[in-house]
Amino acid sequence: MTNLKIFAVVVGTILLYAALANAIPQVQSAVPQELVLAGDVTPEQLVAAGEDLFNGAGGCTACHGLGARAPNLIGDEAGTGPIGVRCAERVPATDCRSYLWESMTDPSAYVVEGYDPIMPDARRTLSEPQIWTLVAFLQNQGGTVSVTAEDVAVEEEAAAGGAAGGGGAPALAGGSTDPEELLQAATCLVCHQLGDQGAAIGPPFDGMGARLDADAIRRGILLPNADTAAGFAAMAGTMPATFGEQLNATQLESIVQYLAGLR
Amino acid sequence: MMRGRRRWLAGEPARPRRMRWAAWLAAALVACMVEPAAAQEAARQYGHFPGIGSRAAVWIAAQLHLMFAAFVLGVPMFAVVVEAIGIAKQDSRFDNLAKEFTRLLVIAYSATAIWGAVLVFLLTTLYPAFWGHLSEIFEVSMWIYVGLFFIESFTLYLYYYGWARWKKGRAKLVHLGLGILLNVWGTTVMFIADSWLSYMMSPPANVTPDTAPGMVQLWSAIANATWMPINIHRLIANVVFGGAVVGGYAAYRFLNAKSNAERAHYDWMGYIGNFIAISALLILPFAGYWLGREIYAYNQSMGITMMGGFMSWLWIIQAFLIGVLFLAANYYLWLGLGRIPGGERFVPYTKWMLLVLVVGVVVWATPHTMIADRDELVAMGGTHHPFLGVLGVMSAKNTAVNLMILTTFLSFLMYRRANKRPVVAWARTGTVAQATALLLASVVVIFYGVYGYFVPANVRIGFSVYQVAAVLLAIVAVVVLDMLLSRGAESRGEIRWGEMPERAQYALLVLVVTFTWLMGLMGFARSGIRQHWHIWEVMRDTSEWAATPALGYAGTVISACVLLFLGMIGFIFWLGSLIEEPAYAEDPAPGREEPPPPTLEAALGGTP
Repeated sequence: MTNLKIFAVVVGTILLYAALANAIPQVQSAVPQELVLAGDVTPEQLVAAGEDLFNGAGGCTACHGLGARAPNLIGDEAGTGPIGVRCAERVPATDCRSYLWESMTDPSAYVVEGYDPIMPDARRTLSEPQIWTLVAFLQNQGGTVSVTAEDVAVEEEAAAGGAAGGGGAPALAGGSTDPEELLQAATCLVCHQLGDQGAAIGPPFDGMGARLDADAIRRGILLPNADTAAGFAAMAGTMPATFGEQLNATQLESIVQYLAGLR
Repeated sequence: MMRGRRRWLAGEPARPRRMRWAAWLAAALVACMVEPAAAQEAARQYGHFPGIGSRAAVWIAAQLHLMFAAFVLGVPMFAVVVEAIGIAKQDSRFDNLAKEFTRLLVIAYSATAIWGAVLVFLLTTLYPAFWGHLSEIFEVSMWIYVGLFFIESFTLYLYYYGWARWKKGRAKLVHLGLGILLNVWGTTVMFIADSWLSYMMSPPANVTPDTAPGMVQLWSAIANATWMPINIHRLIANVVFGGAVVGGYAAYRFLNAKSNAERAHYDWMGYIGNFIAISALLILPFAGYWLGREIYAYNQSMGITMMGGFMSWLWIIQAFLIGVLFLAANYYLWLGLGRIPGGERFVPYTKWMLLVLVVGVVVWATPHTMIADRDELVAMGGTHHPFLGVLGVMSAKNTAVNLMILTTFLSFLMYRRANKRPVVAWARTGTVAQATALLLASVVVIFYGVYGYFVPANVRIGFSVYQVAAVLLAIVAVVVLDMLLSRGAESRGEIRWGEMPERAQYALLVLVVTFTWLMGLMGFARSGIRQHWHIWEVMRDTSEWAATPALGYAGTVISACVLLFLGMIGFIFWLGSLIEEPAYAEDPAPGREEPPPPTLEAALGGTP
């Protein structure tokens, strides 16, 4: 009888936990599937494909679904309306389509006030046609869809051409090795000061060569979270750790030598 | 034949019949050689496991291997500490307790090795490409791992089989040294295995999908961003697990005890197991914070997926389980007050402590930032529930968990002080100082919890450090004061070992089941946040099992693993009992009283 009670307590406890796990909302992490779109794909089909990605494998809802970590993309955001309406108003002289595309492929170019720059480049996990479907879905949230089959087809061709040319992530600044151009393209000056440009979110580039040698600068770019500069502890973890993937070796060395020379 | 060949070389047409035969033969050759090669090419990526599928097969093998590994790493820590106490106090009962568990280790090592072999065979056959990739990077550390496992096993055999031979004088110290060495090997083995799995989570930034595995530097792969936090978290968790298993075993033996002496022995053992498990549990969340912070620092997306993405509900289940742990552990201690003379003076406080714990669990388990679809948002009337949204933020949760830790510590303190009457001149001042330290820590925790609602999120995150620091500081200060207060303290009476209610033993059983289930759940969280990547953003999982399953499925697999593990551990315990040498004296003859087992505090320097 004692052993039966022990068995009942043990099995009952396990079953309780299993029941609890089955009682909560069931969310499975989906896998991004290769997108196959016909040449005559309609805007509705693009929107539907984008909605699937947004709610599933794209992982967008982790931050954008609620508006807690990132702007709410499925409803009103602080009285500015849904994303399909407000997207054209975010950046002057930038239309909705371009803004949405840029926000996914170069997310630190414009960060909505009140939020941290935590969004990764969507191209790391999604293909460009998939990103276009997301643009279409977001435009459809109160706005007009202007993404067409041509956009997807053009991007697919470009992707094919890129693959033939060696593949990999697209080089920053069109492959330029000009350090100042690269600093602009990599949006470094959003956080680092250089002359009269940039903000004081991270250590200034001015005089960096007097404070750090080339090895330390290179390490700071490739492993930005390995060390924290004195006085910037509060911003630790802010700098993206993706430049090792975005820059090729020549570009990286160009930036390193340039910064090491700023004394 | 030669003629035909010449014709072919000269470009002349062969005779039609011979051509058909040649074509048929060529097709047959292609069918025999090319088709199987293509099939092999596909098979090299993934194998197939019938019924439950490859993912579940590897999952179960890995989980069971891990549970046994935690047992054979946690219990030696327990054994060597208990043996050291026995040496220091010249008390053979501690020595017998250590030996009793080392005997079980010998059998458990075999089970660990068997499940490890099963795991490797499954990985080799079901995920050959991934395993090839990993072994190409880590081959040297894998050889060292196997060598160390071999050395560790033989150190264990020496430790166990040498117990009777090396039991006195300097030889006993050498024997203790073997126990320490056993822990060193075991911990090193764990660190090596941790490097493989943490590399899968956080490969170095310069490793990309195009990087050939042979080009990855071994040390940079080992010393990846999450390696050390996982090492430390597992090290502490193993101590917790070892203590909990000891407690569960003791509870089982207590409930089946045939004599008072046996009941007293296993009551004492259960108390020690629970003491070690809960003491280590109190510092485990801090190691967890560090691991979480490193995950966020390594990759924000991964961190957000873990805490606010599709895994967000997992933390509600975790909160429920940890709530059960806190409640069961405190309940056990409160029931224990009943067998300690003087313990009754603390009993009236327990209902208020229960209230703090229950409110803490409710706050901690309140959902906040969950994935919600449009309909759910409409139903809630906003992005957060209008009432629960306030309770679910980290300010409230951190406050709740820190107060729960303080409450549990207070239970330990009451238990420790129950049968003591301090005699030092400053006894009252010391007690007031202890109460002040706990009160101050509570005030700091509550202050930063409330203040957190009025500052931005990035400032609020830093407040948890102040809360944790206040709690740890108070715990250290109170323990030091208590050790000084206990010097020469008068006893209010001996603990009546064995007079523990049976329901306290069921609390210990619930503890070990919950710890084991929680281990499975956290393993799923750690592994699942990689989602469809074998190696995060380096090697994609393209198998049919690439999707990370929902919690319901995960809960079912975890439950199956826990059942299997506890079943096998039960079998090992039974095997151990077949060659048992009683570690307790049988019921003494009338008129002769067996001295009661000592308390751990007494053995550590306090007054019994």
